[in-house]
Amino acid sequence: MKNKITLLKKGSIYTLIACLFINISFASEGYLKQQELKSILTILQGKYRDVDFVYNPKTFDGIIVSNFEFKEGEKLESNLKNLEKVAPISYMIDGNTVALRKKNTTTFQQSSIQGFIYDEVHVPIWGATIVVRGSSNGVVTDESGGFTITPETYPTTLQVSFLGYKSKEITISEPTEMLEITLDPNMESLNEVVVTGQGADVRKKRLPTKVTSIKGEDLEKISAQRIDQQLAAQLPNAQINFTGGQAGATSIIRARGVNSAMLSSTPIIYLDGVRLDNLNTQAQLGGSASGASMSALADIPMDNIAKIEYINGGAATTLYGSDAANGVIQIFTKKGGKAGTHLSVIAEGGVETPTTDYLHFDRTKDLLFRTGEYQKYTLNLNGSTDNDFGYNFSGSFQNSSGVQIHDQNASLKANIGTGFKAKLIDGLNYESSFNYVYNKYKRNRNGNQGGYTGLWFAEDGASSITGPGFNNRLDELTDEEFAEIKAFVDNAERLQDNQIVVNRFTTSQVFKYQPIDNLVFRFTGGLDFRNQEQINIQTNEYLSATRGQDIIDQGSIQNIQRTYLGITLELNGQYTYNTDDFSFITTLGGQFFRNRDHQVLYSGTNIRDGALSISDAAVKSADEYLVEVLNYGIYLQENIGFKDKLFLDLGVRGDRNPSFGEDIGTQYYPKAGLSYLLSSEPWFTSELVNSLRLRGSYGLAGNLPPAWAQDRTIDFTGYLGDQAAFFGNLGNDNLKPEKTTTVEGGFDVTLFNNRFNFSAGYYRSLTKDALFNVPLAPSYGYDGSQLYNIGEIENYGFELSAQVIAIQTQDLTLSFNASFNTLHNEVLDSNGAPAFNINGFSARTLQTVVQEGYPIGFIRGGYGIFDENGVLESTVAQSYLGSTIPKTFGNLGFNLDYKNFNLFATGSYQTGAYGANWDAQFRYYYGASDDYIPAGEIEANGRSNWLAFTNRFVEKTDFLKIRTIGLSYNLKSKNSGFYDNMLFSFTAVNPFNFVSSSFDPEATISGAAQGQGGASTGGISYATYSMPRQFLLGVKINL
Amino acid sequence: MKNRLIYIIAIVLMAVATSCVENPNVTEDVYIQNPNAVKSWVVGLQRQLALTTNTVNINVAITSDNYFNNYSQYSKVFDMLQIDYFDTDVNNIQGDVQALREMAIYGIETVFPSDEDGTNEDLAFMYFCLGYSNILGGELFTGLPATTLGEVLDSEQTLMLAIDQLDEALSYESDAQLMATYHLLKARVYYDLGDASNAIIEANQALSVPELLFQVEFDGTNALANEMQNATFDALPNRLAPLPRLDFLDPKYYSVGTISTDQKSVTLVKAEEAYLILAEAALANNNISNAKNYLLDLLNLVNARSTAFVDDSGETRNGGVRTDYPLTAVQVRFDAMSEFRDGFVLDRQAGDVVVHTISGTSVNATMINNTTTVEEVLYLTYLMRQEIFMSEGRRLTDLGIKYPISQTEQDNNPNVSDAFTTAQIPSYIPVDDIDDFTVDANGNVTMSVDMNRVIIENRATTTTVPFF
Repeated sequence: MKNKITLLKKGSIYTLIACLFINISFASEGYLKQQELKSILTILQGKYRDVDFVYNPKTFDGIIVSNFEFKEGEKLESNLKNLEKVAPISYMIDGNTVALRKKNTTTFQQSSIQGFIYDEVHVPIWGATIVVRGSSNGVVTDESGGFTITPETYPTTLQVSFLGYKSKEITISEPTEMLEITLDPNMESLNEVVVTGQGADVRKKRLPTKVTSIKGEDLEKISAQRIDQQLAAQLPNAQINFTGGQAGATSIIRARGVNSAMLSSTPIIYLDGVRLDNLNTQAQLGGSASGASMSALADIPMDNIAKIEYINGGAATTLYGSDAANGVIQIFTKKGGKAGTHLSVIAEGGVETPTTDYLHFDRTKDLLFRTGEYQKYTLNLNGSTDNDFGYNFSGSFQNSSGVQIHDQNASLKANIGTGFKAKLIDGLNYESSFNYVYNKYKRNRNGNQGGYTGLWFAEDGASSITGPGFNNRLDELTDEEFAEIKAFVDNAERLQDNQIVVNRFTTSQVFKYQPIDNLVFRFTGGLDFRNQEQINIQTNEYLSATRGQDIIDQGSIQNIQRTYLGITLELNGQYTYNTDDFSFITTLGGQFFRNRDHQVLYSGTNIRDGALSISDAAVKSADEYLVEVLNYGIYLQENIGFKDKLFLDLGVRGDRNPSFGEDIGTQYYPKAGLSYLLSSEPWFTSELVNSLRLRGSYGLAGNLPPAWAQDRTIDFTGYLGDQAAFFGNLGNDNLKPEKTTTVEGGFDVTLFNNRFNFSAGYYRSLTKDALFNVPLAPSYGYDGSQLYNIGEIENYGFELSAQVIAIQTQDLTLSFNASFNTLHNEVLDSNGAPAFNINGFSARTLQTVVQEGYPIGFIRGGYGIFDENGVLESTVAQSYLGSTIPKTFGNLGFNLDYKNFNLFATGSYQTGAYGANWDAQFRYYYGASDDYIPAGEIEANGRSNWLAFTNRFVEKTDFLKIRTIGLSYNLKSKNSGFYDNMLFSFTAVNPFNFVSSSFDPEATISGAAQGQGGASTGGISYATYSMPRQFLLGVKINL
Repeated sequence: MKNRLIYIIAIVLMAVATSCVENPNVTEDVYIQNPNAVKSWVVGLQRQLALTTNTVNINVAITSDNYFNNYSQYSKVFDMLQIDYFDTDVNNIQGDVQALREMAIYGIETVFPSDEDGTNEDLAFMYFCLGYSNILGGELFTGLPATTLGEVLDSEQTLMLAIDQLDEALSYESDAQLMATYHLLKARVYYDLGDASNAIIEANQALSVPELLFQVEFDGTNALANEMQNATFDALPNRLAPLPRLDFLDPKYYSVGTISTDQKSVTLVKAEEAYLILAEAALANNNISNAKNYLLDLLNLVNARSTAFVDDSGETRNGGVRTDYPLTAVQVRFDAMSEFRDGFVLDRQAGDVVVHTISGTSVNATMINNTTTVEEVLYLTYLMRQEIFMSEGRRLTDLGIKYPISQTEQDNNPNVSDAFTTAQIPSYIPVDDIDDFTVDANGNVTMSVDMNRVIIENRATTTTVPFF
């Protein structure tokens, strides 16, 4: 039986009070000869209305009290003392609560309290202290959070405390066996249990690295259509920039710089221990959809999340093995709820407006954009029957009409997720989750794909060379001219038909087996299956409309399907052992990760308008790409604690991967670190400092080369009906993973009664044997480039974050959070290899380049110097024009709770990076604008030197963007109505942008060239849509 | 229960651990060890020949005066004769020329010896490809490495290699048409080297096949379209705009129906070239009469070549950033000193236009007969070279322009000195005016400069008119 004694029905007491006031004439002062105890208590309640009387009415049934003397005007305690003399009760006063119990004849020694202490996500807390208030009687919870304490008297008040959590006092009226107490974290807590670090649970304080965890409730506050958007301003030491505003666009997630010139800086992602596809194998048969890359992050399930843990590289990621150098995001879904059955329904809807802040021509907005609508409905059913079974079901439907005309960026997403937990038999627990996501979105053309492309047409001056040709200075057009161009654009947009459909199924199955108290085995198995279908339909009508010609036989359909299946299997055991002063947590595990990426392209040309499949095409063609990779590793971790204040963390992982040849062999990733809770020292008696921890670590993490990249291959294709052979991959027998060694140190401190939480750290990461995609000399006769382990990349910086509770009263809480990170990135060595482009265009135009002595992805182009007449005097080609990686970045936020109101805001910022305004440069080239370049040059040379002074088009990309502002009101049900509470909310997404550049510093074609899998630092503004604004109203009803 | 579960987990883990993955690609060893490698390699070489032709054709068209580029994804600087060694197109041209060479060498040295089914004709074709790659290398580049990361040979040395390789091809070949082709290619090399006597011998041997024609085919259904056809006809708007005085020769390639299945071949070698070489050689000997006879023979051959009537009413060939000429049948004069003439700019809305898929020229017999001086005949010879080789990637050599070795090559290859990283743009080339023109109030076009006039005026230089 749970401790429900304190949860007695106050409502019924009030009712009784009312009755008593009517029926009992009770003198202001009186002597009651004989009266039921419960009636007396009702009377007392009526006299002392601000006091809660807590007792178990059943135990008071039938007790008649004689000779109770009530004294009006006396303190409550005095009257209770009188009652205690004549009635078989004892009492305890705690503030405004009076707990009463019937005096028992059983001995108090046998009347102990047994229970469990849990954290906010129902993980048992080991080491929490329980003390009977006002006594020295105290105990500490065991590994399962369990405790037994025997108060001398009842009722009694227990004080429960644990570092980093809000202390709790609970008044108990009588012995109980199944008391459950949940502690709430006091901001970020060092005692919080995390599983990051591979499989096994461990408290943050034991880890020498920083782990960021975000609770599901905090995520739910942020209205977002995808997980990276939801996390955008939540990770204090990571930056998430959105490189496009269209559904499914890629983002740059970057924490400790860019440690690879081959892979994107996106962390690897786990859902309930199962590795997810984040497109780290590149699209081979068409890397982009309508000129912009797609992201697999856009369809990660996000309705059912209990919490997310994030580690940003270094020693923390060592145990994740060969591709974790960019950090790890772990998503945990809900597996149960509170006892009983709980239903919540959420409806959210509102308008989306295009972000037109960065448009050059005012009239572009009229040409391409409109206000759209957004709606989302979520249903969640959860509960648990008892400790042994919990469940959670959620389903959501989200639909956006988009902000581009003719629904060209409309999206629809549906998500169904379930989570279960069950105790199968003693010592064996089972947890499972299933998630299905359907994501469909339209996408019109981006960048410059040749022919008509909306933004390129309107903003870049290409309207002068497209279709019949227009005056490309849109704002100078007469109304008639504008009507003509608007009709053309309207038709061109209407006739585009490109969409992406994703079906994704993810499941995780976890068995936990605890044969003995100190030993837990955990088996995790699961899969991520993701099918992505890109369909581009170009009708003859579209071609005719955009080219100004009557075209009847060039209609085409292209369909690219990418099917990904990733299977994760992991088994680990964790053994905990305590001596007087020492505690040991030993973790041994093995992980297998196998993925299969199958890409198929089929297309049909000369197809009649109206056909939606290639079956009607006059000419059909197909292509295929297949890669399978298996990676398996074994890891061992030893975490040693001394007096719960000093922790040594050691670990190593060995990885093998058959796709990379025998020469690579087993790759080892060691780590070592120290965490020292200075504030736990007996001599540390500061009133100011609540906790202080020092931490330092060393660790290795790696990135694998693509599978089979070491082999020299011959490729084939068809040519005039025969098989044509040609050189495939040049191969490199010595290929091996690139490895990043990180050394870091820092401290975490909480001050002022846990109201100020500050964390500071410094890291230096050095990637050796960095995989550089060296462009092959043309004399090889091979196309493209070859990977070599020849680079050395350095990243270092400070990571600071703070949370402050500025005001904390009963009704009002105001807190702020801020983070500040510095970043230095440099390619220290390229072993003499030529510079190479990662995300720009050709060497004569504009590139983002990897080159020794410079940051990765710096802007390279022509640097022009003008004479006194403003005429180009000289130019230096391929000059350094600025780094695309910011020097500083961070997040800001505040949260205000006033009674039932909540107001919060989150934002992100960066400084010190540059971006190239390629749009402006094209505007100049096509004569749509005379900005940036002196009039003298235009007069003397026209537009012919347009590539010679790219430096003029490079701008600082400092920004502060407010991501979300939310206001909500929580209406609690006063009576037991049909709902428990209702939450009404208003959210503004992306409301304010403060930027130094004339373009959107985020919308900078990440991956447009290479797909999500390639290294990318953004940095080029090129006909890319910005994230729209959203203004949403929502209601959540908990039943 | 517990134990059973643990066993199941252990079995699953072991199954995964012992399973393996295989490289889905064909490795070099697997390829060589399997039969009929030569056949697929020869087809691969044919394909590479088509790829190389595309790259050369487009870039030479833009760099020369023949075409102006309006397409944002082709070079936007070659038209201005801005040719930098770091330019990706410079690298691409070198890459495709040297891919042909490396594939030929690999075929000769590795694939052929490993396959018993390889024939002499296969070997001859491999040597031809090797020779042809060196012809392109010698004609288009100031110098090139002869082997992977090897020492750099200048254009003359590269061309000399081609002679030996074509001789090898001839020694393995028995087909008269192909042998004539190889002879004509040798004539081209001797012409490039200024060796008139050998050029005459080889040209005459080539003319043993009077209508000699060697073409490279394309395969639109396997993503290998004729890019010049795409740029001048299929892609709308047309990506390349012709020089107004060459308007009547545009397009050379066209499609009817489904584009991908109607890809016209590009001529690499044709008998016309033999007459042009012989005419220039005759002029170098001051033999005007013979030269005129060669040109008249040439004219007969050109007129005998097939033509087609094509609906080009959908053309949008001019426009873009160039201020362009009208799309009606306006008059053109070759420079400000010349007379306006008809027939150079066609009105494509007036009906089907004649397309010269092999050769076409504005020169007629009267014009040839009316010439009296070496200079006049030489002018017509170079005008005919330009017109007959239109859209075949040949014009740059007549102008004397050569590309530099690419930066990527130099960064990887220590043998590349800075001397080879600068483009050869002869001083007589009027960089700003090479393809410029003005349009008067009536829409008639005046070319800023007659480049063929410039060429023959500078015939004494080493970079053009090799026999002079």
